[in-house]
Amino acid sequence: MPSVGRYFRIFRSFVSTEFQFELEYRTNFFMGIFEMLLVVGTSLGAVLVIFAHTASLNGWSLPQMVALTGVYYLVQGLTNIVFSPSFEKLMEHVRQGTLDFTLLKPANAQFLVSTRHLSLVRIVDLFMGTGVLIAGLVMLGNSVSVGSVLIFLVTLMAGTACVYALLLTLVTLAFWFVRIENLLAIFWAFTDAGRFPIDVYPTWLRLTLATVVPIGIAVTVPAEAISGRLSPESLAAMLAGTVFAVVFASWFWRRGLQSYTGASA
Amino acid sequence: MTLLGIYQALLVAGFQQAAQYRVQALLWMLFSIIRPIIFLAAWAAVAATQGGSVGGFTIGDFTTYYVCLTLVAHLTMSWNSHEFEFEVRMGRLSPKLLRPLHPLHYAVVDNLIFKLTTIVPLSLVLLGVVLTFGARFETQPYHLILFVPSVILAAALMFYVNWVIGTLAFWVTRMRTANTLFMRASFVFAGQIAPIALVPGWLQAMSYALPFWYMLGAPTEILRGSTTFEGSLLIIAAQAVWLGLSWVAFKFAWRAGLRQYAAVGA
Repeated sequence: MPSVGRYFRIFRSFVSTEFQFELEYRTNFFMGIFEMLLVVGTSLGAVLVIFAHTASLNGWSLPQMVALTGVYYLVQGLTNIVFSPSFEKLMEHVRQGTLDFTLLKPANAQFLVSTRHLSLVRIVDLFMGTGVLIAGLVMLGNSVSVGSVLIFLVTLMAGTACVYALLLTLVTLAFWFVRIENLLAIFWAFTDAGRFPIDVYPTWLRLTLATVVPIGIAVTVPAEAISGRLSPESLAAMLAGTVFAVVFASWFWRRGLQSYTGASA
Repeated sequence: MTLLGIYQALLVAGFQQAAQYRVQALLWMLFSIIRPIIFLAAWAAVAATQGGSVGGFTIGDFTTYYVCLTLVAHLTMSWNSHEFEFEVRMGRLSPKLLRPLHPLHYAVVDNLIFKLTTIVPLSLVLLGVVLTFGARFETQPYHLILFVPSVILAAALMFYVNWVIGTLAFWVTRMRTANTLFMRASFVFAGQIAPIALVPGWLQAMSYALPFWYMLGAPTEILRGSTTFEGSLLIIAAQAVWLGLSWVAFKFAWRAGLRQYAAVGA
């Protein structure tokens, strides 16, 4: 497929532009590291305070919870590097009618609006998430098989795709309701729930976190996979759900685009 | 016109403005609710695995604690340190400085309006949480009476600390780090992770020594009725001391900052 290679090249040029842009603000980068250390450190502290009173949280041991915290920051990092900055810009374009310029480009519009802007500072999140995850696995002690690492990576990608699909659906709403930032604010408020395994929540919140705001699934399932708790049924359900979510979001995006009128149309 | 009259006029204008953005206010309200519910759920799960209670806290006690905490967090909320950077960088502070009223007063009015317009829906949500988890209150009448000065002091303290942090924007352009630092400190020390009785001894000592707990955890403990009468008075006295200190810090920072302030064209 020549087109995959072409999109890969386009994406690479986005990365290099944004990288040059970030190089102008090096202090920013170091401050980002400092902030992230603070955030991750205090989150782990919260986990430790809870586990000072118990050996397990709904069947999750301390090492498993540490691994889950790592996955939480990995998923956040993956969304915050590419999708969040791109979608923020997209909403601005819709509001100001400048999306025309994107639509005129000879490439898939969904690809362009989802990947054009990056926040490379957030790569720090990925490193720290991975670090915490590995710490959790070391604490777990039992060896991690190649198979479970593979399933972990697959579920991590699927989880991120779920979050992507939700974000795309939300920002597509901007075609009808121009002031949609509020809905994204709700999404960010809910992402906080990803810091604990989804099964600790009361039913109504669990259902919300599994379907409406898939952050619970996106974090809990990969963490289950890497700590060897994932059942084949949940894996299948998650993959099917992801495919559905992505197909739906893409369809919804095309619907939304039809009602876009541009600045002077 | 007296200050009271000015406030009345500003409040009326503010309410009319707020009426246009009702949904927005409700959505922001969700922000303050989600995190306490998350920690409540986690502690409830721990209490359940430990046979009903952790360190003397039953699920009902945790519910009471986090419901009170959400209410206090809402009543003491302040967000000026986030806005102030923008105002300084964009030079929007300049016209405000020309007005006869200190910018602080406008912030007070904004703050009151947000709280007054969202308190009813928030209370309904909290009532729902109380019913879902089953809360257990130990509150005595004197707790309710002492809660009033305590929460007002906490809100004022939060407000001034926020302004002190905000004035940093006169010197530095990157305020995000300062805000993150403050938010994570209040995450750890203010009682969001756990009621102060459940955190390790050294953390307890630090929480009592630093100002963060007095902005959130202290009124929460009084409202849920876990403090004695004398204990409550001691807490209120400590809050008053911190408020005095933050007021002095603000006066200094503001005066020094204005001298530093150089907006475009100023």
